[in-house]
Amino acid sequence: MSSGNKHYWKALEEKEGGPEFLKDAARDLVERGPRHFGRRDFLKAAGFTVGTAFATGCRRAPLQKAIPLLSQPEEIVPGRCLFYASTCGGCSAGCGLLAKVRDGRPIKLEGNPEHPFSNGGLCATGQASILGLYDSQRLQHPLKQGNKISRDAADREILARLASIRSQHGAVRFLTGTITSPSVLAALEEVLKSLPDARHVVYDPVSNSALLDAYAQTHGTRLLPRFHFESAGVIASFDADFLGTWISPVEYTAAYRAGRNLEERRVSYHVQFEPRMSVTGTKADQRFAVAPGDFGVLLTHLTGLVAKRAGISLNWAEPDASPVPMSFLEGLAEQLWHARGRSLVLCGSQAIEEQVLANYLNHLLGSYGTTIDLERPSLQMQGNDQDLESLVRELHAGKVHALFVYGVNPAFDLPGGDELRGVLSRVPLLVSFSQRMDETAFLAGYVLPEPHFLESWNDTEAVNGVASISQPTVHPFGETRSLLETLSAWNGKSKSGYELLRESWRARVFPRQKKESNFDAFWDRSVHDGYTEVEAAVFKTKPFDLRAVQPILRSSAALDKFALVLYPTVSMLDGRNAYNPWLHELPDPISKVTWDNYASLSPAAAKKLGVNNGDVIHLDASRTGLRTLELPAYIQPGQHDRVVGVALGYGSKLSARFAKVGPQWIDALLSVGDNGLVGQNVASYLELKNGVLHYSSTQVTLSRTGKQRELACTQIHNTLTVPEHLRPGGSGARPIVQETTLAAFLKDPQSGVEDDEEKEDLWPTDHPYTGPRWGMVIDLNACTGCSSCVIACQIENNIPVVGRDEVRRNREMHWMRIDRYYSESDHGQVDVAHQPLMCQQCENAPCETVCPVLATVHSEDGLNQQVYNRCVGTRYCANNCPYKGRRFNWFNYSHDDQLQNLVLNPDVTVRSRGVMEKCTFCVQRIQEAKIEAKRRGEKVVDGAAQTACQQSCPAHAIYFGDLNDPSSRVSKMMQNPRRYRVLEELNVRPAVGYLTVVRNRDQESKEEQHG
Amino acid sequence: MADAVLTLRPPLIEGDKSIAQVTHDVCAPMEARPSRLWWLALAASSSLLLLGVLAIGYQVAVGVGTWGLNRTIGWAFDITNFVFWIGIGHAGTLISAILFLFRQRWRTSVNRAAEAMTIFAVMCAGIFPIIHTGRPWFAYWLFPYPNTRGSLWVNFRSPLVWDCFAISTYFTVSAMFWFIGLLPDLATIRDRATAKWRRTLAGILSLGWNGSYRAWQRYEVVYLMLAGLGTPLVISVHTIVSWDFATSVLPGWHATLFPPYFVAGAIFSGMAMVLTLMIIARKLMRLEDYITLRHIDRMAKLVILTSCIVGLSYATEFFIALYSGSSYEQFVFLNRALGPMFWAYWTMVSCNLLIPQLLWFRRIRAYVPAVFVISIFVNIGMWFERFVIIVTSLSRDFLPSNWFHYAPTRIEIATLLGSFGLFFTLFLLFCRFVPVIAVAEVKGVLKYGRPHAEAIHE
Amino acid sequence: MTETLNQSRLRNYLGGTFLTLVLLTALAFSLLVLVPKFNAYALPGNQRGYEPAQPIAFSHRLHAGELQVQCLYCHSGAERSRHAGIPATNVCMNCHRFVSAPLGAIRAEDDAAKKEGREPRRVVSPEIRKIYDALAINDQMKPDATKASKPIQWVKVHNLPDFVYFDHRPHVNAGVACQKCHGPVETMERVRQVEDLSMGWCVNCHRAVDRTGLDGKGNFTAASAPAAQASTPVSHRVYASIDCSTCHY
Repeated sequence: MSSGNKHYWKALEEKEGGPEFLKDAARDLVERGPRHFGRRDFLKAAGFTVGTAFATGCRRAPLQKAIPLLSQPEEIVPGRCLFYASTCGGCSAGCGLLAKVRDGRPIKLEGNPEHPFSNGGLCATGQASILGLYDSQRLQHPLKQGNKISRDAADREILARLASIRSQHGAVRFLTGTITSPSVLAALEEVLKSLPDARHVVYDPVSNSALLDAYAQTHGTRLLPRFHFESAGVIASFDADFLGTWISPVEYTAAYRAGRNLEERRVSYHVQFEPRMSVTGTKADQRFAVAPGDFGVLLTHLTGLVAKRAGISLNWAEPDASPVPMSFLEGLAEQLWHARGRSLVLCGSQAIEEQVLANYLNHLLGSYGTTIDLERPSLQMQGNDQDLESLVRELHAGKVHALFVYGVNPAFDLPGGDELRGVLSRVPLLVSFSQRMDETAFLAGYVLPEPHFLESWNDTEAVNGVASISQPTVHPFGETRSLLETLSAWNGKSKSGYELLRESWRARVFPRQKKESNFDAFWDRSVHDGYTEVEAAVFKTKPFDLRAVQPILRSSAALDKFALVLYPTVSMLDGRNAYNPWLHELPDPISKVTWDNYASLSPAAAKKLGVNNGDVIHLDASRTGLRTLELPAYIQPGQHDRVVGVALGYGSKLSARFAKVGPQWIDALLSVGDNGLVGQNVASYLELKNGVLHYSSTQVTLSRTGKQRELACTQIHNTLTVPEHLRPGGSGARPIVQETTLAAFLKDPQSGVEDDEEKEDLWPTDHPYTGPRWGMVIDLNACTGCSSCVIACQIENNIPVVGRDEVRRNREMHWMRIDRYYSESDHGQVDVAHQPLMCQQCENAPCETVCPVLATVHSEDGLNQQVYNRCVGTRYCANNCPYKGRRFNWFNYSHDDQLQNLVLNPDVTVRSRGVMEKCTFCVQRIQEAKIEAKRRGEKVVDGAAQTACQQSCPAHAIYFGDLNDPSSRVSKMMQNPRRYRVLEELNVRPAVGYLTVVRNRDQESKEEQHG
Repeated sequence: MADAVLTLRPPLIEGDKSIAQVTHDVCAPMEARPSRLWWLALAASSSLLLLGVLAIGYQVAVGVGTWGLNRTIGWAFDITNFVFWIGIGHAGTLISAILFLFRQRWRTSVNRAAEAMTIFAVMCAGIFPIIHTGRPWFAYWLFPYPNTRGSLWVNFRSPLVWDCFAISTYFTVSAMFWFIGLLPDLATIRDRATAKWRRTLAGILSLGWNGSYRAWQRYEVVYLMLAGLGTPLVISVHTIVSWDFATSVLPGWHATLFPPYFVAGAIFSGMAMVLTLMIIARKLMRLEDYITLRHIDRMAKLVILTSCIVGLSYATEFFIALYSGSSYEQFVFLNRALGPMFWAYWTMVSCNLLIPQLLWFRRIRAYVPAVFVISIFVNIGMWFERFVIIVTSLSRDFLPSNWFHYAPTRIEIATLLGSFGLFFTLFLLFCRFVPVIAVAEVKGVLKYGRPHAEAIHE
Repeated sequence: MTETLNQSRLRNYLGGTFLTLVLLTALAFSLLVLVPKFNAYALPGNQRGYEPAQPIAFSHRLHAGELQVQCLYCHSGAERSRHAGIPATNVCMNCHRFVSAPLGAIRAEDDAAKKEGREPRRVVSPEIRKIYDALAINDQMKPDATKASKPIQWVKVHNLPDFVYFDHRPHVNAGVACQKCHGPVETMERVRQVEDLSMGWCVNCHRAVDRTGLDGKGNFTAASAPAAQASTPVSHRVYASIDCSTCHY
């Protein structure tokens, strides 16, 4: 048989000579003797034929469909992005944003540069909130007892229940967070009016009630003033984290930065008193760690000193000794007084009498009308803890017949724990408007899910006189309905949110402005801009009432116990973001810990207790009825020695989903704790008493448990100096963050810059940049470490979430990280420097020479390109990168959640396993800008290409552009005397420059001993 | 001439062997049933090999993340093992090629095994550059080949590309050298063989060797030429491997000292490995007469020499760091000795520098078990040398924010063990099926240092 | 040699030939199939010659060739977006609201109508009816309640890997003829991929353009003098970058 085949192939070689072939074949066959055509011959022949048929067949890639729209609207061009101006719903601050919509789906949120108070900034939370839109566990339908129910049925039943309650004069309560939407408030007002005993109770889980109450006492009106940091010369902040989480951080950051303009030599002086290290504290020129119980005394002392200068003699008794050296307070008082009218005293405490003292200081210093605006106050954070307390009392008494919960999660973020949950579940009619199945929604009889703010029409007046609109950018995914529509439906006029909003604006907002006479024109402009400035509603305040002012003479700080300070983090806030993996993986701006909350201790306290990072400690509360808490310890320099800090917002039901986030392999660990959740909820340690929600009133005793829980921290070494015993002679801190003092800066703007001249090259620069050359400058003095850029980068560049275990293994994927270094200045004060660091796009890039496959090469406009599809993943480039700016795909990070994949940026490749990746200055945006410029036949203008990090930075600390264009902002910044480059001495010539940190201090900058 | 020699030198081969005896002694173990010891050894090594195969399989299937690497430390066990194995190889080439050119006749009874070791070591080494890539299925992109990408070549500036060339060349030459050397002995096997398969196989492999003068003459020429080719490779291969580090900017890697330092280290570790294997082999195959104490003694002396060179390099590194005035450079070396990974550094120093000094004493050199133990220590030490250079330098470089530590995972350890499994499995099979000693060459030195040399020829 | 064959041999010979003949036919068949494949030999991933059947037998020959409809009339995205785009169905309707069948068919209907002395019925060709079906309208252009509107699912012909970011804008605006990459579409009944669209093919064209310039525009490569660049407006120069990040990011 085989021989038969053999001859066949022989024949094939000579397929030209058919006849000869026949003859030969004949001869062979003949010589082989008798043959007949058998089954196997047939199979052979058949097999051959079929085989060829196959061989010729398969060569096709999988079929791809192209499905055009049926009828294409004018403005929509497939593949082009549209930007819709809207308002952020991340918190009550109500920053303006632009929603980037590509092919019908929003893919990114960016700050609206024209917005009057957020000025183009957007915080990490705000940007990450887009992931909520594509959250597959978001509620899509109304629920009754956890079962799906149609919206109309739900309405009917609820209205029926309300009717019966109305008939028997039952109590109806709306428990909401701060609602800044005038339209919603009006609709709500209408509902309340229709009921005999209905009240609207507002509280903020991160409350500033005391601040407002204080104004009620001193100025007769309960309001939240608007602070003008930009015009403040001296800022004294008492535990107000206004750059991090306090009231309206983006707005304040922008203003604060405007007030610290080194180029115009206009630099405010900022003193921060706080128990723990906050984002704001890291930027302070002078910072003191003060125990929570000492603020009253401190304020009393300062008030006395300022009053003395004002020529007022307060005959107050002698208070306890000040926690801060009197000499310093004298100086501060002097500066505050000297800067009368330009000084600003802030108090973040939840003690009304302390707030009153702060108000009195501001009154003495003439801040009202200059740095503090009472006429056009903010409308954010209107929470009233007194109402809340009375409501809780009512609930316990079982007096409430119907409770509607919107925008808050009382079962999670209020003290009272299981007791409160029990009380809530006993409310006859409990309705939640939650977007997700949170703790309260679990107890609720009805859940009417609220749509995501990118799905519905709404409006906001966060600051009196600035009305902004949020418009839907995508068709709602489920059968959700905005509160505005719901309330109107209950008021008997069920209309679309669009109509309702137009009506409400025609009635309420339109009359408050003069510019436009035609409503439609006004409406169109407002929708286009996303906001409109109108006349402020009039707030009448009485003259300052001195009777309210009382000194606080006794310190309430316990000396034997630790004060438990509960604080919100920039990522979790009050826990509303617990569903968001991006924010869980966002390193805390100061501790750099991810995926956990922890008990932070000062180094001294830790030493005394004998605990290290990751040792689980026991928090035993003095107050009764509180279960003890076990948390891993984290050693936090700059924290007060008698304070233990724990972050709020963790341990939410919503984080249960993250158990198996990240790659799963034999050694993989869960991302959640023993409780199956990320972190632990410490809300039960809050205290709601005397009409105020207290965050630091609890005293605890600490003890070691001997257990261990390694924290997933992205930065384990905290200072720029190398350990003592490894320090070569004469080498101090590494000149990576370079800083100076204002005094030195004013003498010599270049002070503090170690080494800024270009190094001589051995070779001539053989690659001239004739086109643009992209570069970046980062102003370390402006950067607050708020981490908005980190999230912006993650969203823009499809950076995967890797989970707690991978972060613990130092494998987080963030292209942009913010390095945080501690240093100790002369009087034992801990200084912090933030340094955003990404690929430095070196001109002599060490990574480029070593890549064996040319997967990373230099572009003609100065970019250090990374070609994912060429990379084989030797990791040689990363080893050879002095900045370690490169990230490696250790695994295939899951993209299984189809809904969540809709947030991916279609202009950036999703990297596969085994590939190196890094910052490329958002090359996709650069390309877009270039191509659009080409299309219009122009040059790329400065600012046409913006990187994601730059666009969203609330402090405008990042400059990006063409270094070859001398008129561009970035090249001007490169000429700034404060400019230096990291690791200049290696002569890798990074395209990223940094501007020195300048601390507003008198003493000459001396070699700061870090560590 | 020979007489002059025999008065001065003791014989290379002990126990008055006749030519026939030599043939018999070497071939007997191959023809006899393998000893129980051999079976045990094979079982052990092949199970290690299996473990390694499983580990590599898992890693290739799941990802490099199954190793303990992180964004600061991109290389650890993978490249450490690679450099270690490449180093092992060098002694083989040194003994077979360089000593051949220097007419060191004592090499004859060890060169065969040493060359075999070289080849197996390079095989082990070759695995790691492939599996350490994130996408091993694209590892072939490291070789330049015409393509439809217009065309897109490799980066000829990258030491990794040089590695590819160096190692493939090295493997080819060593393999050829070894095979050519085998020809006469294969012929011997063929002629002695009783089993058919053995005869045919040996027949094919011996390329029809017929022991004619012409055959011998050609053989000598080719062998000499290959020796000449092999010699520069001893230097070049590890020099190029060292460039992987020397051409980088990383303090602790970026050192001009590396090429000589690495080559010395390679020969050092190689010699130690030869000792280890020889001592095993002569026990297993009962070749005490051929691999004599003198062989062990000489190799031990080579070990001392290279150990001292390596020690000098360690010292030089520190001096240069101090002299450079770069605080980063200085820190890295302080960090090696006193930092969190000091234990690795001191293991390295004690195994490579201190323990080998014992070999200065003739008694210890003459006491085989001691030499064996020392050789093992040297192997360990040299592995740690690479580990220290790679990991400690990476773990703490310029920006303190990047500093991180490293711990291997089970997968990595299994892979390392697997490479040893492969090495010893191959070596055991070699002992079994190939003459461990170059019969033909030994016969050549048989009369060396014999009083009645002529007797052999009757 | 055949004459030397005796009877038995002859029988064997014939017995053998039967297999031979079968194999021969198989060979002939396979050659017929294989030979064209041999000269169209391509590496895996090369889709040159891909010519999938489309849901509607749309003829570019007729529209772009005979009727001279400009490419950008339907594929208007090419100027403004990275995707040229498939025209939305309402674009088709700009003409096919009126043109519902080949002229011949309509004429025939008219004549028939004249003969029978009745109003000519509206003739709708089966292919064009598919458009109406997609829009859920009947032959009289009236919405048809019985139908549900559903977009037409065309089959994509020119596919690039996901890690390639090709953008039509710069090419169209630089004046690259559509045919340069898509081949003589105006002659194709059904669209076929003409070029192999490999990276080498792209890069070589870019290199060529940088040497020679393109349709009247001078080439200003990165190396040319900045002064010269400044003097000429951007719209008068063409420059095709061969940076990796031109297509890969």
